[in-house]
Amino acid sequence: MTALFRFWLTHQQELATSVAEHILLVAISTAIAAAIGVPLAIFATRRPRLSAPLVAIANVVQTVPSLAMFGFLLPVPFIGGVGARAALAVLVLYGLLPIVRSTIVGITGIDPSIRLAGVAMGMTARQLLRQVELPLALPSIVAGVRVAAVVGVGSATIAAAIGAGGLGQYIYRGLSMVDSTVILAGAIPAALLALGVDGSLLWLERRLSARRHARSRRAVAAAAASLAIVVLAGSALWAARSPAAIVVGSKNFTEQLILGEILAQTIERETGLPVQRRLNLGGTLICDRALITGDIDVYVEYTGTALTAVFHQPAAKDPRVVTETVRGLYAGTGRTLLPPLGYDNTFAILVRGADARARGLRTIDDAARVAPQWRAGFGYEFLERPDGYTGLAQRYGLTFRSPPQVMDLTLSYRALASGQVDLIAGDATAGLIKGLDLVQLEDNRRYFPPYDAVPVARAATLLRYPQVRRALEGLAGRITADDMREMNHAADALKQNPADIARRFLDRR
Amino acid sequence: MDGVEFRHVSYRITGRTRILDDFSLTVGAGETFALVGASGSGKTTVLKLVNRLLLPDAGEVRVQGIDTREWDPIRLRRSVGYVIQDVGLFPHLNVADNVAIVPRLEQWPDDRVAARVRELLELIGLAPDTYAGRWPDELSGGQRQRVGVARALAVDPPVLLMDEPFGALDPITRRQLQQEFRRIQTRVAKCVILVTHDMAEALALADRIGVLDDGRLIWCGTPQAIAGSDDRRVRALVESVLP
Repeated sequence: MTALFRFWLTHQQELATSVAEHILLVAISTAIAAAIGVPLAIFATRRPRLSAPLVAIANVVQTVPSLAMFGFLLPVPFIGGVGARAALAVLVLYGLLPIVRSTIVGITGIDPSIRLAGVAMGMTARQLLRQVELPLALPSIVAGVRVAAVVGVGSATIAAAIGAGGLGQYIYRGLSMVDSTVILAGAIPAALLALGVDGSLLWLERRLSARRHARSRRAVAAAAASLAIVVLAGSALWAARSPAAIVVGSKNFTEQLILGEILAQTIERETGLPVQRRLNLGGTLICDRALITGDIDVYVEYTGTALTAVFHQPAAKDPRVVTETVRGLYAGTGRTLLPPLGYDNTFAILVRGADARARGLRTIDDAARVAPQWRAGFGYEFLERPDGYTGLAQRYGLTFRSPPQVMDLTLSYRALASGQVDLIAGDATAGLIKGLDLVQLEDNRRYFPPYDAVPVARAATLLRYPQVRRALEGLAGRITADDMREMNHAADALKQNPADIARRFLDRR
Repeated sequence: MDGVEFRHVSYRITGRTRILDDFSLTVGAGETFALVGASGSGKTTVLKLVNRLLLPDAGEVRVQGIDTREWDPIRLRRSVGYVIQDVGLFPHLNVADNVAIVPRLEQWPDDRVAARVRELLELIGLAPDTYAGRWPDELSGGQRQRVGVARALAVDPPVLLMDEPFGALDPITRRQLQQEFRRIQTRVAKCVILVTHDMAEALALADRIGVLDDGRLIWCGTPQAIAGSDDRRVRALVESVLP
């Protein structure tokens, strides 16, 4: 609990920004959803045959998991890609259903004699809508907006996966660090926000269904005005955010956050150009896509991952060959591979330090001798990948006492340290290796393909800002595996801020 | 001519039975005509043909001498007051705003609207200072019905349609409102078509009575003459209200 408050205290400013981003995402998307949904629903009530299919479509949209929705939208021009725009598009889609449905219900639920009275008094269709149908359907419409906004607060946390900011950043960061404090630091404000939105709109809804309609109309006007102000102010702030020349991206795990900061701060220091950080993007595919569309200008990739995951080529072993192959593939598609940062984030076969010292284990060959008495634990990905367990076992003739246990990658470090398993495949740069006194065995038969960390940038950006290229080339070979391990350790175990860690690293040079 | 005229009007719902069959009737200005019949006899359809909520399949309906097909429906409806069966007051508007609807649709200046609302509330016997700001759900059934009448009279339309206006009220309130209606009618002198299933009400209010049976006007004449009808169906209606 104290850890949580300490985290909030030390991240005050960042937290305020995230809350503001979150509120803006929800307010703007809900406003747009209402602006589209209410007229759409009115249209549907005029064409009853359309109303059922319309609600059915909205229902289907609603059932698409939000992460999948972000995925679908990635390749869509204009609204797709990464960043706030795509997040807004998804949130608007989610907001439509409750608003459309409740508006239809509100209008069709009006007592027919009231509508008849309006028509018989000589109201035009528009007058009937504005003076009778909309005022009477208003409580129901507000109820729909309330549901849309509350759902939006939840869905907006997922928007962090495509770099739209908001409170989801903490949740993702916490998940990647397996740190429940950080998860709670984002989840609790999000929950409070949802409760607050729900409560205030419920209050409005009650006012509206109460008898004193004249006064409540003023309440609606006030609420609509304040929403408009929030949206306008928000959009103005959004637009006024210093026009960043360079956008730095990163994937969503600790090491990537630190590398993103290192790139960003290096560019800031060396060139003075304004840099925007779009860190914590939800994976290789999203980063690559963002690079192609120009939503980001540079991020750090790993050569082996680029080869297999981005370009779908068979894995290769020689680091230099892999780097050159990837460089060529990138160059053909408007992306430039910059010089490697200096370390290889390959899979690391890890054992307890005590075992290694007691038995004199240095290489995987050494471990293969004692492995038949051991248990192994591997992450799901390692068991599946073409460059994972099966090949490793063949190459080294590895057999264990029992088939390897499947476990979460991050948890496997602790399982090893506590003696539940005796050998795992981890990340060569994991901070936990240092924290838990683990030892990496040498891949003496050169089984694992190289995963050299290397910045990839948009060729167009580098042409336009040659000083950025020079600044990033200055990082060539500057980060060793030990450096990276230490920085990961500082973030994961010591809970330091990635920006501070990066700053200290750059100062030290 | 100022009244309402039906010439050989037929109306049917597509694919279903005839609701109105060769219906002819003339109601003049200042006259109150009561249309009596069992439910389903086509009474409400007659009213809806007057303000063009419906158009006839055959024959023609003339309001103030003009065929309803030629009227702009919006203009027509604003010159025909309509008191509907379920009152249909707007629950989101108070009494004054309900009464002021059509004057405001007609874009009267605010002070004229306010003066007219006061005048009408006095006419229907609801003190403006007490009732103007009340909400429909704070009124009794009788008061709501009065407001409905005031709303229909707001722009002083030459024609007034009333669909079971006093049907849902208790007998005492009904008598009271019927008396008030007669008082009002002597002052406003509209062409009134009143639809009711209650022969007593027709006898009490109307200058002439028509009996509608299964879409046909089977009898038409003065309240005095109806007692002498030898039609079995008319006699049944008249006898139902004899003590």
